[in-house]
Amino acid sequence: MGGLKRKHPDLEEEEEEEAWGWGPAGPRSYQQALLRISLDKVQHSPGPRAPSLRRHVLIHNTLQQLQAALRLTPAPALPPEPLFLGEEDFSLSATIGSILRELETSMDEAECPPSPVVLPGPQAESLPQADPVFLESLSSRYLGDSNNSGLDDFFPDIDTSAVEKEPLVAPPEAPHNLFCAPGSWEWNELDHIMEIILGS
Amino acid sequence: MGLELLFPIRPDEGSSTLRKTPRCQAAWTPQREPREARTTNSVDSDELLCPRSAAQSRRTSRERAPAAAPPTSQARGGPERAPIGCSAAALAKADIISTVEFNYNGDLLATGDKGGRVVIFQREQENKSRPHTRGEYNVYSTFQSHEPEFDYLKSLEIEEKINKIKWLPQQNAAHFLLSTNDKTIKLWKISERDKRAEGYNLKDEDGRLRDPFRITALRVPILKPMDLMVEASPRRIFANAHTYHINSISVNSDHETYLSADDLRINLWHLEITGRSFNIVDIKPANMEELTEVITASEFHPHHCNVFVYSSSRGSVRLCDMRAAALCDQHAKLFEEPEDPSSRSFFSEIISSISDVSFSHSGRYMMTRDYLSVKVWDLHMESRPVETYQVHEYLRGKLCSLYENDCIFDKFECCWSGDDSAIMTGSYNNFFRMFERTTLRDVTLEASRENSKPRALLKPRKVCTGGKRKRDEISVDSLDFSSKILHTSWHPADDIVAVAATNNLYIFQDKVH
Repeated sequence: MGGLKRKHPDLEEEEEEEAWGWGPAGPRSYQQALLRISLDKVQHSPGPRAPSLRRHVLIHNTLQQLQAALRLTPAPALPPEPLFLGEEDFSLSATIGSILRELETSMDEAECPPSPVVLPGPQAESLPQADPVFLESLSSRYLGDSNNSGLDDFFPDIDTSAVEKEPLVAPPEAPHNLFCAPGSWEWNELDHIMEIILGS
Repeated sequence: MGLELLFPIRPDEGSSTLRKTPRCQAAWTPQREPREARTTNSVDSDELLCPRSAAQSRRTSRERAPAAAPPTSQARGGPERAPIGCSAAALAKADIISTVEFNYNGDLLATGDKGGRVVIFQREQENKSRPHTRGEYNVYSTFQSHEPEFDYLKSLEIEEKINKIKWLPQQNAAHFLLSTNDKTIKLWKISERDKRAEGYNLKDEDGRLRDPFRITALRVPILKPMDLMVEASPRRIFANAHTYHINSISVNSDHETYLSADDLRINLWHLEITGRSFNIVDIKPANMEELTEVITASEFHPHHCNVFVYSSSRGSVRLCDMRAAALCDQHAKLFEEPEDPSSRSFFSEIISSISDVSFSHSGRYMMTRDYLSVKVWDLHMESRPVETYQVHEYLRGKLCSLYENDCIFDKFECCWSGDDSAIMTGSYNNFFRMFERTTLRDVTLEASRENSKPRALLKPRKVCTGGKRKRDEISVDSLDFSSKILHTSWHPADDIVAVAATNNLYIFQDKVH
């Protein structure tokens, strides 16, 4: 379970102005935010302890629904990968890898209002005596940056080679309409974030 | 109903962790020894002794600070070693209670924790000279049930956390229970020893062997009373039968077999046979990419030894009859409530996932717990539940945040009162809910030390769902989602409930008694 999440200071004002629709027919940004959260959950390494299969299946099913809602084309079938839980034929991660690829394609078509890229918050291990966890509105790091960075900028150090069999669009090469012009405001923000990620 | 706190047991580790104490020392704060200092394996029965007299003498010091009790007589391991490099956090995390279970007559209460330890409490017998002690639970036995393991083939740690404890019906003076972690089930025997034999022929009082040639006369050893000792020894180890994580065990009404369920399979065991089990349910698809549903809980019917149920992550419960086929993939009944289209969201499936299923004592009803509600089903009607109770409906508007912080995956348990007239389940902020089925009254109570003094009546709590917050109400945004009550157990006969709040155990009883 995550610790307290930090909001990007610039975003707090913006969040109050925008209205969030929470229902299934809500704005596209909400669905994309959910998609990001789900993919974030999947991508995070489970650590030395075997993760919960139930949680993984539920997240996977939610991803499928989000996919359908965002009208992505069905992913091509991939051969099973021995990965999750070390089971020989467990290939959930392969399916999710294919969803990742579809997402990259869909980013081109998404409507994206310009907004600042947010800093990833600290991932703190929560302890029994940890600070209490309160509900906040949807963590801002999942919202509103769909045109600028793409998912890969969040995970520059994640090795996706296990789930990507073919050399598809590699992380450093974003499709050109997602490319930020150097010197632009978005470029400076990205630069700032890369510094922080690499510096830590 | 009015509930009073009997006494809080196992207060928070808080700041008092690095003090080293032998196992079984303080009755109320069984401090965990750091792993480095712990003596070796738990298989040896002599290791696990909890002198009863020591526990009795500490009954008065029930409060937070562990008393400086006399050291227990540990059979093995030599002197205690100081904790080295153990942080307060590491010690505290291992004490998180992961399961709570009363035995068949309610005299014993077992708890399992994340560190693989089992602590058993025993109810005090009636004592005319001390009438107020009736009904209090004291530590009876503590032992290390499971140790962490490492699966080298898959490079995965196997957690020692105790997922479930189930008692066997008592057949003789000893007590038996099954405890399980993710992979291995163990049958433990807990027995008392209050007599010691003296006057052996072949060894002298110090235990040294006597030279047989020097023995000129034979004598019959005499049994002498000694301080009561409670020993726990593993009698059976049922291992290597589950690829996935065990989430349930259930003892059959025939008292000879039991089932264990993991995410995809259910196995049937005989209590005497550890080398073999029968697979009775297998929902693993041929192609794991098609996996969309897992088993979340399973239980035998309390009276019909051929009937069991299992719940799924998609919100359905299947009832199976073992007489129909060896492999019960075909259910006899399917209990599923059609989804309400008006409340459909991306989280509909996740919140419909059933976290616990429980038969009523009568065997006529079954209760399921999903994320927001508890449903009571009549076994004769599969189409919809006969009763639905909202546990914390105010969370429905917060599902997105709860998904983000993973709380939406929390598995809450539920339990019946002894006469099936009431049900109970946990919630967040250390709240738990009780519902009376006949009068339809319900109450929200809090299990926390600040709000519970021994013998004090619990005050009902209320969550403010919107608009103006009244005094004494708490708003949804102020709820602490890291303090959750997942595990509860109800005494089989009396109105006594055990509630686990993180690493604290609370026992409440009805004030009427």
